Amino acid sequence: MSNFDTIIIGAGHNGLAAATRLAQTGQKVLVLEQGATAGGAIAQSELEPGVFAPRYAHLLMGLGMPEIKTLGLQDHGYTPAVSDMPTIALCPTGRHVVLQGGTVHYADGTPHPDAAAYQTLTKRLTKFAAGIAQISRQAPPALTGGGWRQAVDLGKIGLNMRLQGKDDLREFMRVALSNVYDTVLDEIADGPLAGVLGFDAILGGHMGPRAPGTMLSLLTRMREGAQRSLPKGGMGALAASFTNAAIAAGVEIRCNSTVFEISVTEDRVTGVVLQDGSSLTCGQVLSSLDPKTTMRLSHIRHYDAEMVRRVRHIRTKGAVAKVNLALSEAPKISGLDDSLSAARWVMAPSMDALELGYNGAKYGRLPDDVIFEAVVPSLSDPSITTGNRHVLSAIVQYVPYGLQQGWDSNSNSDLGDRVIAALDKVAPGLADSVTAREVISPQDIEVETGAPGGHWHHGELIADQMLMMRPAPGMERYALPVSGLYLCGASAHPGGDVTALPGLNAANAVLAGLKRKAA
Amino acid sequence: MANQYDAIVVGAGHNGLTAGCYLARAGLKTLIVEKNDWIGGAAVSRELHPGWTYSNCSYVCSLLRPEVARDLDLGRHGLQVTPYEGGLSFMENGDYFGYYADHDALRREIKRHSPRDADAYDRFSRFVLQQCRFIRPLLLRSPPDPVRMRPRDIQELLYLLKRFHDLGPRQMADTLRFYTASVADFLDEFFECEILKAHLAGSGIIGTGLGVYSPGTAYVLLHHYMGEVDGSIGAWGFSRGGMGGVSQSLAAAFKEAGGEIRAGNGIEKFLCREGKVVGVALDNGDEITAKTVVSNMDVRRTFLNHVEDGTLSDDFVKAVKRFKIRGSSAKLNIALDGMPDFPSLPKGTILTQGDMHASQSLDELEQAYDEWKAGRWSKDPYFDMLIPSLIDPTLAAPGKHMMTVFVQYAPYELANGESWDGPNRDAMAESVISKIAKYSPNFRDLIVHKEVRSPWDIEREVGLTEGNIFQGELTFDQLLFNRPVPGYAQYRSPIKGLYMCGSSTHPGGGVMAAPGANAAREILSDLGRGQRAA
Repeated sequence: MSNFDTIIIGAGHNGLAAATRLAQTGQKVLVLEQGATAGGAIAQSELEPGVFAPRYAHLLMGLGMPEIKTLGLQDHGYTPAVSDMPTIALCPTGRHVVLQGGTVHYADGTPHPDAAAYQTLTKRLTKFAAGIAQISRQAPPALTGGGWRQAVDLGKIGLNMRLQGKDDLREFMRVALSNVYDTVLDEIADGPLAGVLGFDAILGGHMGPRAPGTMLSLLTRMREGAQRSLPKGGMGALAASFTNAAIAAGVEIRCNSTVFEISVTEDRVTGVVLQDGSSLTCGQVLSSLDPKTTMRLSHIRHYDAEMVRRVRHIRTKGAVAKVNLALSEAPKISGLDDSLSAARWVMAPSMDALELGYNGAKYGRLPDDVIFEAVVPSLSDPSITTGNRHVLSAIVQYVPYGLQQGWDSNSNSDLGDRVIAALDKVAPGLADSVTAREVISPQDIEVETGAPGGHWHHGELIADQMLMMRPAPGMERYALPVSGLYLCGASAHPGGDVTALPGLNAANAVLAGLKRKAA
Repeated sequence: MANQYDAIVVGAGHNGLTAGCYLARAGLKTLIVEKNDWIGGAAVSRELHPGWTYSNCSYVCSLLRPEVARDLDLGRHGLQVTPYEGGLSFMENGDYFGYYADHDALRREIKRHSPRDADAYDRFSRFVLQQCRFIRPLLLRSPPDPVRMRPRDIQELLYLLKRFHDLGPRQMADTLRFYTASVADFLDEFFECEILKAHLAGSGIIGTGLGVYSPGTAYVLLHHYMGEVDGSIGAWGFSRGGMGGVSQSLAAAFKEAGGEIRAGNGIEKFLCREGKVVGVALDNGDEITAKTVVSNMDVRRTFLNHVEDGTLSDDFVKAVKRFKIRGSSAKLNIALDGMPDFPSLPKGTILTQGDMHASQSLDELEQAYDEWKAGRWSKDPYFDMLIPSLIDPTLAAPGKHMMTVFVQYAPYELANGESWDGPNRDAMAESVISKIAKYSPNFRDLIVHKEVRSPWDIEREVGLTEGNIFQGELTFDQLLFNRPVPGYAQYRSPIKGLYMCGSSTHPGGGVMAAPGANAAREILSDLGRGQRAA
């Protein structure tokens, strides 16, 4: 029998981040991963020999410098290949809009009528987002017993906002809980430009842009300045840097190890039992799984009925699928400078189109007009494919987890066809150049990564499931009622996307807990 | 001088009348001007077909603040509210769900549909009651301004925080969730039975441009539950003589206090000089002077239509323009030759004396909303149908009945530039009537007269922008200190002496009289007449 200070379930980037942080303080840490490789949602897959595609996440938006430094990712192979990636707001009529380095213009170079209004709006939003960024780097405010320390922290954030000026604070208090649909359309006309902002708010969620609270979703996502980057060597290289950083810190990672049970004695975690029957002991367990699964593994009898009820009602309906294509030649968006094909492509023609797309997902239908975000990482980083081939990765929004006709190979290939047809419309010839494809439905995502409902963020990321309500009241500060058991995945504050924040915040909660006990 | 007053209230809606009452009782020479020949705004009773009295717009009563009714002695002035006995949802399978006012009967009825939900209902009503208790004291207070932070703002903020803190940790968490969740999620946490959820969910969408799955609709449900009739919280009732009864009693109280009402001429513009209001100009050319003018109109009409260009700053005008006032509902008033048969209901049931619905599921309600988003009226609408003449004999001759049907959703602007006049209005009415007729075979034959009111008609008659019954969406970016314009939530406007007292202000719509009472309190405090005059 082996003894560890901490065992972490799941080698996703949050689990690895938590492990690294704890190992840095001298703890003996073990990470158990059910899959064959570490990485979780930043893993990659090999579409055909020599062509690697990001299996789930394909861009970085919220990974901040402080986290990169804490984990030492740059010493372990992480370099951005492209930072501040331009975005092409695709338009079905071909009048695409280019968003680059804070400027906006049509693809043919003509000025966009809403360019100035867009800049003013995003500048203000970025300012708001920076103002609340601090809240993401710590446990959410406790409703009771937060003490003077929390009061001081919150006071500082409030004061910071106030110092930005009266008008800004007023505007922030109005905008924070509004919906992205109205707040954006109050400033700019509906179309692909507005569509991109709407898309950024709802990406990964089961919600439409009209839903009140979507503005807060957008603001949290903009905390690192709304810039996107591609890691050099693809998402696989990023996964490797998380893994290597952990190993360098002394973490042990065991793949192909499924946890059967979290052992609890007298309301205190004592270790885990693996599927193969072996048991391991430890002082605390961090779970990057969702709260429901975590509670099941540690036995539901340890939780009061109130908490079980709350956890059962966390909304985790996934609405995102992934389509990866291997291409024999570089895709070219018609009417666009070649160099811009390496940008982020967003097909969200308008706010109304987004809301319409959501309608389908509500009732379990496949989208007729596909809404997606696509990147061709091989254009900016040829190292991820061999032989002049290319790889296109598309996140398809509003693909329901609960598809009416059920998910099987037919619906998978139906979805693939729809996405390829939509891509071929904006990049003629693309369909003919597809040499291999994979379609990963929300159900596949759930099975492969353990994300409940295949939900990108392990739970809807909208006001009523954020901050002290994430994942559910009573477990918002990472610790579960079972002593020594913590949540460290995307279901915890501040939620999904590749930020490493839930992992690091959870690790800090563990350390604070140990310090309290020692004192 | 005849045309000189201390205060003028523009619009004789129930909030305008309420504000007028408080001002007149404090000794101000007060005039209320009204564009229509009748008073009441949306709380009005009209005999549009001989022998039948319709509650044209608002149709039930519960939100009216008891404090106001007591202050103004409305009972003595003729206000009488009778609670109703139940409500029901018709079911497509021939069954029904009865929402009895009597707790034991309701429990038995829920048990008939789902034993589990019968237990959950007690938890549900306890929770809603707690939330009502939490929010009701806030209704008759002015929201704090968290940016300016004058002593009164800090005091008010601390009051809010203390009330919140007093809830205790579990209730605090539930409260936060409740204010941000959708009504569908909120109900899902308690119930499994679809018809029960559909029955209750209606309160979460009435009057709003949101669907049952939209976050924030749980609060709208609360907004409809926080009222009370005869001290029982969450109960609804009929005002004797229709909703006009509320306005008439307010008008009587106003006149007794020495107030004067001029109906028949609307306002052309607010007269301003050097950033101060000096009076109003009516559309017949009359000019009336007063140092205090109160607008009962919604914030958009007040500042965009009746204030001279250049008086207000661009920022303020922009903020007013983006205040969302969306038309989402329509209304049918129907004169019936007799009581319609509802074969699925038990003989002699009291359930028909309350609100009747026919929505089967949350999805059905959501689909009705999807059509609204696309600029179409719902083909399979949600309706809230009542027959007040069952309780109130003043509304129709013996044996005859008056029916009021609130319909959702109906957009103000129809897709493809279509007009509400003509085929659309009739087709919308037909979709409602045929849905009712599904559950009442003789209903169609009993119709003597009907009045169909699209959002467009409501706007034209009452003056509510887009026909929105709340003078502005009740979304969280438009509540409390954000309502109607951040920085102007305390009933004052950028123009000195010009106040707002309509539902555009805190705490929002419904026949509540709270905005009117709050506005009057602020005005009197500005005039140095202290707190609310008793």
